[in-house]
Amino acid sequence: MLPELLRIALLGGILATDRAAGWNLMLGQPLVGACLAGALLNPGPAWELWALRIPLGVGVLLQLLLTDPALPAAQRPRDTATAGVIGASVAILSLERLHPFLPLTTGGIVWVLLGTIAGLLASVVGGWMEASMRARNEVSARRAEELALEGRLVSFEALYWSGVGRLFVRGATWSAAATVAGVAAAAVLLPYVARFLTGPRSGLVFAVLLGVAYGSGFHTHVRVFRRGFRWAALGALAAFLVMLRVHGGGE
Amino acid sequence: MIDPEPATLPAPTPAPAPHLHGLDFAKMTSRSFYLQALFAPERQQGPGFAFAILPALRRLYADAGERAKALARHMGFFGTHPVLSGYVLGVAARLEERRAQGAPIDDAAIENAKRSLASPLAALGDPLFWVTLRPLAGLAGILGLALFPLADRVGPDLRVLVCPLLALLTYNAVALSYRIFGVRRGYEQADDPGKLLHSLRLAPLRGFFERVSALLFGSLMVLTLWPMTESADPAGLGLAHTASVLAPFALGWIVSALALRRWPGRCIEIALTAALVALVVSTRV
Repeated sequence: MLPELLRIALLGGILATDRAAGWNLMLGQPLVGACLAGALLNPGPAWELWALRIPLGVGVLLQLLLTDPALPAAQRPRDTATAGVIGASVAILSLERLHPFLPLTTGGIVWVLLGTIAGLLASVVGGWMEASMRARNEVSARRAEELALEGRLVSFEALYWSGVGRLFVRGATWSAAATVAGVAAAAVLLPYVARFLTGPRSGLVFAVLLGVAYGSGFHTHVRVFRRGFRWAALGALAAFLVMLRVHGGGE
Repeated sequence: MIDPEPATLPAPTPAPAPHLHGLDFAKMTSRSFYLQALFAPERQQGPGFAFAILPALRRLYADAGERAKALARHMGFFGTHPVLSGYVLGVAARLEERRAQGAPIDDAAIENAKRSLASPLAALGDPLFWVTLRPLAGLAGILGLALFPLADRVGPDLRVLVCPLLALLTYNAVALSYRIFGVRRGYEQADDPGKLLHSLRLAPLRGFFERVSALLFGSLMVLTLWPMTESADPAGLGLAHTASVLAPFALGWIVSALALRRWPGRCIEIALTAALVALVVSTRV
């Protein structure tokens, strides 16, 4: 598992830097993180059917659920950057190790559910760590000002780069540690709950969670905007006509 | 023999007035990507701003003491939208350049210029990039799942690369253009920050992206529900059966939409509660 953890740590570190240092290139979005984690952790041809679809499912659900339309200052502290990586990694690594405990009828849905729940929990716990990170930054900022006043510009730059490195290390260690914790928790819990997890039951939970995700998407993309309903209806009508045309053409 | 007239020394050539080069703008732009690395509530992006403008200060102030003072005056509170920070950097660098050339510009004038541009950029940039464009880019990535059918049903699902690529392209096509040209444009239009702010057209762009976002979400609903409806009743049991299959999805959707109206920002709690309730209900039914 060590090579996988190194890859997860590298990816988690890069995404945390993207979100926290100011790159803001969208790499830290759950959909991107989950898909990249899936591509990096692909366990090989034996799992080809599910290995890439599960991270995609986890990424889509987390993207809809973790997108908050409030301004950043009004948002609750959530670590959305590493949530996608952790969710997808927990799902893929658990799939490889724990699949014999589950009935075949559950298919890939259980792993998507597991990854989504792991990602949601990881974003909450990761958000708690933001406060300590900012307190540490305050100490560094004071030191940076002292160095600037003393004219020690090289030391000032070194201190600043160490701040960037700290963000990377924090994201990397948190991603790897949370993935290990998630897989361990799944290894302990799944054998016990396996008898409840039939195909129809996991399908029902998945459908409800998908509905909640789309409700959240509706809140983010339609409700908060002026005349959002009108434009959403127009989009739905356009897609409906296209589908009708494609469907009719196919027949 | 002593020369009766002392030789006339050539007049000392004045030092060339310092001015910024293209390389300095490139360095400031690249450093603006690390603006928030030491983000803290008290100064926000202050240390990051000082770090980003340092290449310009190195060019403008040959004297170490002057350079240190210039760096220290940029260490205070600073807060703007990170994507648009280049414009403020450009304006501040222009003012520093004039000061280094001898113009009577004091610390307060530079600070006022920074604040007068940073606050409106934050007020316009946050709703545009965080509230509208970033969710829209995520939605574009999700739409990739619906728009691109599987090439091979048993092979690797290449949408795992297509979807994030769509999201990244949608966001960065807009954001990177502001980031890359921000410092240079801020420098060139430093004399008229109002005109600069107006020329960015942030508010109209936000309105446009809001409409696109709602339009795409409406399309996504249909593109999701269509295959779900088709696969809900393969045996042709009728409309009631289809409705019963789609009911959990619809219930989750309605509950979430109503709950988020009452408790905005509590989506994680709502999702976990809904999943737990669904699991419990499924064991009873």
